[in-house]
Amino acid sequence: MGAQGGGEGYYDYPVVRRPVWTWEVPAYFWLGGMAAGAYVTASLAQKFGSVDDQRAAADGYYLAAAALVPCAPLLIADLGRPERFHHMLRIFKPLSPMNLGAWTLTAFTPVAVARAARQAADGGLLRGPLGALARLVPAALLELVGSVLGLALGGYTGVLLAATNVPMWAKSKVLGGLFMASALSSGSAAVTLQAARRGVPDATLHRLATLEAAASVGEMAMLGGYLMQSGKTARPLTAGRFAAPFWLGAVGAGTLLPLVLHGFAGRRRGRMLRSLSTAAAVCSMAGSLALRWTIFEAGKASSEDQAASFDLSSR
Amino acid sequence: MIDGYKRLMNVEPPPAPEKAKGFFTDTSLCIGCKACEVACKQWNQLPADGFAMTGNSYDNTGKLGATTWRHVQFIEQAKANSNRQDQRWLMMSDVCKHCANAACLEACPTGSLVRTEYGSVYVQQDICNGCGFCVPACPFGVIDRAPKHGEFEAGTAHKCTLCYDRLKDDMTPACAKSCPTASIQFGDVDELQDRARRRLGELKARGETKAQLYGMPEGEEASEVGPLHAFFLLLDKPQAYNLPEVPRLPRKTMGQRYGWSAAVGVGFALVGALVFGRR
Repeated sequence: MGAQGGGEGYYDYPVVRRPVWTWEVPAYFWLGGMAAGAYVTASLAQKFGSVDDQRAAADGYYLAAAALVPCAPLLIADLGRPERFHHMLRIFKPLSPMNLGAWTLTAFTPVAVARAARQAADGGLLRGPLGALARLVPAALLELVGSVLGLALGGYTGVLLAATNVPMWAKSKVLGGLFMASALSSGSAAVTLQAARRGVPDATLHRLATLEAAASVGEMAMLGGYLMQSGKTARPLTAGRFAAPFWLGAVGAGTLLPLVLHGFAGRRRGRMLRSLSTAAAVCSMAGSLALRWTIFEAGKASSEDQAASFDLSSR
Repeated sequence: MIDGYKRLMNVEPPPAPEKAKGFFTDTSLCIGCKACEVACKQWNQLPADGFAMTGNSYDNTGKLGATTWRHVQFIEQAKANSNRQDQRWLMMSDVCKHCANAACLEACPTGSLVRTEYGSVYVQQDICNGCGFCVPACPFGVIDRAPKHGEFEAGTAHKCTLCYDRLKDDMTPACAKSCPTASIQFGDVDELQDRARRRLGELKARGETKAQLYGMPEGEEASEVGPLHAFFLLLDKPQAYNLPEVPRLPRKTMGQRYGWSAAVGVGFALVGALVFGRR
């Protein structure tokens, strides 16, 4: 019997502490994830795709570099002592997801920027001595190395949240996979969006759209697994003030709507195909932001749920 | 060359290891006087947390935090219309458990959180950059980050230091020193554990059927976080004191979590190769 003959625990005090992180963290998750997804998509096209595919997807390198620019500043701003941000790199401690992430971001950013510079030089955007320098960047090597680093960047953020004792983050084992899928689907969507805007051949746009659709399917599967495994601890997410942005934004716009739109676009060509692909891409990217934000905020709320903590720590 | 560098940087050799020290808190002896809270605040020069009544018995502290490293709980157990003999008033001085496998230490990305030569878990204040990862990592909700714009050590993480400074001078931690009933006992962990087992036997013989130890190596609660260097004799199940039955250590399940991430990543790469490759 608990205090005053009431419920199980000590009055209604939470068992664990509420995370101190603020909006910078989900914003970084979204941008960093998109950068990773865009880079990997572009690199897959360079490696396996036709000339049209390569040309279309190469804009992904610009998107990745641009999305990475605010990432480190966001994380630094979230620190309690921002001036000590470099302490993250005092040691290499891969078992700490945050340390692994800091190193990954530190390594991935210059790689992505260098590959973008090479792309700019090849495309004639970067001329003169800078362009000559950029043309020295080994494209294929950076595509491989950057893809590995990008996958690490996209995949570690969910594991970081889950490597805590916050019930809604830690109960399920697939939050890492969910955030990875969200990163890859929003990143490939960004590449598709840019390709549709630029007016690439229909066959290429179809292929990009197919890849994005596959990523959305993966995201739906991970989402289903996450909700099933989380059970009651996910209640702050599925019911309450985060329910609407979660179901409509993260699930609806993020995974269902892109699939429906890609389905309609299946046999289409030309302007219809471009419009549908654009709409699907925008939904996917917005849904990814909604997913990160709702899981982050609802998770913080779940940390104050005594019963959820007892559930997580039961025998 | 490395030795030369170390000499140049005044890097000292690490302190020689000592026997692991900790607390055995026998809650059957606690009278709820809060001398431990006061002594801890005074020795560590911790600021007051404001004067607010919680309405929860005599516990106006609420919980451990960045500026509260000892917290006395008051658990009034009384059934309605029950006999006076059936009523119990449990008291416990909560503290950082200084886990053998500390989630906060494993989470820390800067290496600020370290294991001292006394086996305690300690935050190096000049290294912590306030990333806040240790805060939700702790299964007991102990460590906290001081507010970014506050007056006390703003922005870094704080918790019980096991009075590391007092230990260096062979003194007893402030809370144990001030405890009038020797509910908080300080000493070598293995000796305290023997003492605890004997004390549990005594209580059980006296009819205290609900008495149990929390944090011993043989306990289920130690299955992930290991034995707790600050461990307890409780008079009810752990949940009554807001202690988790099996405190979770994130490292134990990290492999499978990364595994799912990797599977999704590899899957995407394979699909990409197929989609772009088969034309």
